[in-house]
Amino acid sequence: MKKNFILFLIFALAVITIAEFIGFQRIPLGPIAINLLPLVFAILITMVLGMAIFRKGIFKKIYSEKNVSFAGKYLIFIMLPLMARYGADVAPKLQEILQIGWIFLIQEIGNLGTVLLGLPVAIFLGLRREAIGATLGLGREGELAYISEKYTLDSDEGRGVLSLYIIGTLFGAVFFSIFAPIMLHLGFRVEALAMASGMGSGSMMTAASSSLAASMPGMESTIIAYASASQLLTSFLGTFTMVFLAVPLQQLMYKLMVRGEKPWKKAA
Amino acid sequence: MEKSSLNKYVKFGLVVFMSVGLILFTQEIKLLKNPESTPVSSMTIWGLLVLWLFSMVGIVISDLAKKVPIGFIQNFPVLGWVSITSLVSCMLSDTFIKAISAVDFLSITTPILTFAGISVVDRLADLRKTSWKVAIVAVFVFIGTYVGSALLSQIGLMVTGH
Repeated sequence: MKKNFILFLIFALAVITIAEFIGFQRIPLGPIAINLLPLVFAILITMVLGMAIFRKGIFKKIYSEKNVSFAGKYLIFIMLPLMARYGADVAPKLQEILQIGWIFLIQEIGNLGTVLLGLPVAIFLGLRREAIGATLGLGREGELAYISEKYTLDSDEGRGVLSLYIIGTLFGAVFFSIFAPIMLHLGFRVEALAMASGMGSGSMMTAASSSLAASMPGMESTIIAYASASQLLTSFLGTFTMVFLAVPLQQLMYKLMVRGEKPWKKAA
Repeated sequence: MEKSSLNKYVKFGLVVFMSVGLILFTQEIKLLKNPESTPVSSMTIWGLLVLWLFSMVGIVISDLAKKVPIGFIQNFPVLGWVSITSLVSCMLSDTFIKAISAVDFLSITTPILTFAGISVVDRLADLRKTSWKVAIVAVFVFIGTYVGSALLSQIGLMVTGH
């Protein structure tokens, strides 16, 4: 048991070393460049090596049931120093942030984009009640709790939100580390993108804001301060935005789009 | 009861200590690769200790908040409590900011994503249960929230003339 854990720690150190030595990579794709940070290599290496086909010999010991569940159970605690770092980033800029505080507030409403953009696509692809779960939000713990309370997880809505949760957990960080700098190339202000990075998921926010910071090194402190202030705001307001704005908007749009089909199932 | 809760905090303390240890390791490796990155000084060590301390204070506050009979406060995540603890402390004293700033930001992120990657491997099999349709929807959901927020902030910044 103990031996496996030591192996696991050595493995983590090895992955960090490899990821850091690969370093910051810039892959030009026409006019746009994709930035890959060590954190992306770290998550890719650990995920690929954890696939069933590699789980033999030493990797079977490293990815033992106990070690994987340790990583899952304590991931939040491993993230705490990062959250503590954010305080130091926000504090010197707090005045500046409060001055444009209303922008931070209104951009929270932008999280409705999951419904506005996601729901029509889902309906177009033929999804129905599954779409309710899959587009209510980013599919993190908040949406998971709301959907499971209202519909249970063993319903179409529940399967929708669970699928989104799994996809977000696996690919969210990688997706945003690539997507955020693309938006920068499209002409968005880095401050706006930094604020948008506080979406309510720690790893996605970290991925988005660090790849922005890597693209504009001179702005690092502003980017991190804005992203973490917005993230903190999302953890305060996220539930309210979901219950009072996203849910009614989603029901309205759903009714309009599936008019003439099976009626909307009224939920308790 | 007393003893088990003490044991719990010792365990959390060790895990967070491991986390700051990994950050130090990452920062050293980063320096090996690029000698111009953030140096490791005695301030860095103080910074890591401060990060550890704020994390632990946040954990304790989060546990105390669970006893407050207000749902909103009960459910506020421990991650948020730690940020608030740090924010308030850093407002009170610049010393904390100086110490924490000696810790390289990106060196904090690599170990976290290493553990995040390990923690999700057993979910890879669940991917088969999700349909390709939801996978496409997920991409638009991600784009939707990000572009939605970015557009509103962009407009806000333009209106204020920033």
